[in-house]
Amino acid sequence: MNPLEGVVLALQQVWAHKLKSAFTLLGVVIGVTFLIAVITIVEGMNRYVEEDVAGTLAGVNTFTVVRRRRVVTGNEQDDARRRAARNPQLTLRDVEIVQGAVPEAWLVSFYEDRGLPDVRRGDERRTNVRLVGGSPDYAELQGWTVETGRGLSELDERRGLRNAVIGSDIIESLFPNESPIDKELRLGAHRFRVVGTFERQGGMLGGFRDAAILIPFSAYRQRFSRSKNEVDAISVKTRTEDEFVEAQQAVEAALRSDRRLRPGEENTFHFETSDDILGTWRTISRILMTAVPGLVLISLVVGGIVIMNIMLLSVAGRIKEIGVRKAIGARRRDILLQFLAEASTLSLVGAGVGILLGIGLATLVERISPLPAAVPAWAIFVALTIGLTVGIASGIYPAWKAAVQDPIVALRSE
Amino acid sequence: MDKKEVIIQTRGLRKEYEMGSETVYALRGVDVDIRRNEYIAVMGPSGSGKSTLMNLVGCLDTPTAGEYTLNGVAVQGLEDDELARIRNREIGFVFQTFNLLPRATALHNVELPLIYAGISAKERSRRAEVALERTGLADRMDHKPNELSGGQRQRVAIARALVNEPSILLADEPTGNLDSVTSADIMHVFDELHQEGQTIIMVTHEPDISERAQRVITLRDGMIESHDAKLEHRPFGV
Ligand SMILES: Nc1ncnc2c1ncn2[C@@H]1O[C@H](COP(=O)(O)OP(=O)(O)OP(=O)(O)O)[C@@H](O)[C@H]1O
Ligand SMILES: [Mg+2]
Repeated sequence: MNPLEGVVLALQQVWAHKLKSAFTLLGVVIGVTFLIAVITIVEGMNRYVEEDVAGTLAGVNTFTVVRRRRVVTGNEQDDARRRAARNPQLTLRDVEIVQGAVPEAWLVSFYEDRGLPDVRRGDERRTNVRLVGGSPDYAELQGWTVETGRGLSELDERRGLRNAVIGSDIIESLFPNESPIDKELRLGAHRFRVVGTFERQGGMLGGFRDAAILIPFSAYRQRFSRSKNEVDAISVKTRTEDEFVEAQQAVEAALRSDRRLRPGEENTFHFETSDDILGTWRTISRILMTAVPGLVLISLVVGGIVIMNIMLLSVAGRIKEIGVRKAIGARRRDILLQFLAEASTLSLVGAGVGILLGIGLATLVERISPLPAAVPAWAIFVALTIGLTVGIASGIYPAWKAAVQDPIVALRSE
Repeated sequence: MDKKEVIIQTRGLRKEYEMGSETVYALRGVDVDIRRNEYIAVMGPSGSGKSTLMNLVGCLDTPTAGEYTLNGVAVQGLEDDELARIRNREIGFVFQTFNLLPRATALHNVELPLIYAGISAKERSRRAEVALERTGLADRMDHKPNELSGGQRQRVAIARALVNEPSILLADEPTGNLDSVTSADIMHVFDELHQEGQTIIMVTHEPDISERAQRVITLRDGMIESHDAKLEHRPFGV
């Protein structure tokens, strides 16, 4: 016989008893909703982090030498952290060593940065500003594209000129209706001239670039830095991935020998790569991806048990029907298939509702947070497979009970 | 009497029910031979084993002991699936209480045996329509059982029993739930079927109904009391 009949019957019953169906399918719906929402958000996050964050924050094929780890990943030991606290500040001398360790064709930049209480233009002011004093290659190395005007030059650096390139948030706040080029800004007590603007980055982490004001390192050092020869970070950008490892090794060796570190002694500096930043996210997503299946499994098991009980009730209430079907020639497998199809349809309806709710939830998260939501096709496939599996698993026992009914006993029942 | 082919033969058919410590002997060794195109009435007092015999002959139930041969096939000891196939192809069963699926239309009820026979949807509805026309219900195909009268329901049930062209039509008190006028209509349907060549075994309490049959088998206490042949005034076609 055709399981299609079971499918149609199941759909009719779901529709006829909407409230009962809602409760029956609650477990499966919750499980699948949860699954889809989390997969969607994690996937979206992954894409975002891997493509946008890794590409912009640290730059592709870029590593940065810093005094100590800046991004906390949670898998760092306490004593390692204490040791790192004693690392010496990076200085201009370290910059020279790094520059000496890598070919000239590669970009090396160094910078210091700090938050500014505000930036003013006449009576207008904007708070939440990041001031970066960077060497001439800074913007290029970070992948910050100049949109209008120009970037900072060697001349700006050499003369310590008070020129600035500003991010899109600053423009929005202070120059809503006009070009900022050649206008004057007040950074604390100092006047700077805007010579260029950066392309907007947007997104969750775009805040860093978009709210930044880049000035020459030398100008920064004279006016905003307490120390005259310290730098916060030295970045190196290679052209290929192979060179990346090579460069890191060369820089490490040069810095170690300069600091007279013996073999076996720990580095007194830290390499920051996009992996560092991704590491934090990977930890979070790993926790999500391991915790969620457990929760999903629990709700699916509960959902499956509910479906099984509903199916047992359904079989008990339809013994007579089973008897009639057997009397006119239904085989065991026909009856089995009919009830399996019914249970699977029920469960698949639950999974379908769960998929829609999950997508809805993910979309909601996308609306109210900067997280992007991407529903991968495989997640829908997984959800439907789960729905089918739960249906078959929870339907097999009731269906078997129905299938082995003795025809005459079943016919006589009321 | 014609030497027609025997399609049903039982030998020493017994059916016992264990009721706690007691054993109920529903059938105590029944031998019957039924030939193609016969129209048999099974009579006897309540509890004499008529339904039990019908259920065994219809392969709905299995005997405690004895042999049952249907169309030359020994039925005792067949696999469950084989019995299902026989119920589907060889036997059409009409019940006193109709036993239709309440949620399905008349047409769908009649189609059911064809579904289990694996017949395509198109062919199915064509044959179901023909069967319903034969029992005079062409204009009620889309009605559900609760939209039909008792007589109409029984016509649906007869159509369902006939749709797979079974070797034998079994009817256990088919008019037991119907008034006398409707009963007469239904009996007329059986008469017509018999005249078209259908082999029929029917359980009944009504002597005037049994008059229509060629032969009456009377049961008493699970045994055959008499075979009463009255072929003389019943013609039958092939
Ligand atoms: N499932 C069962 N369990 C126990 N005893 C049964 C069962 N089915 C039938 N019997 C007994 O077997 C005997 C024959 O029953 P059966 O139903 O064949 O009688 P019947 O001739 O059809 O009676 P009626 O005319 O009332 O329908 C009865 O004594 C009945 O009580
Ligand atoms: Mg009876």
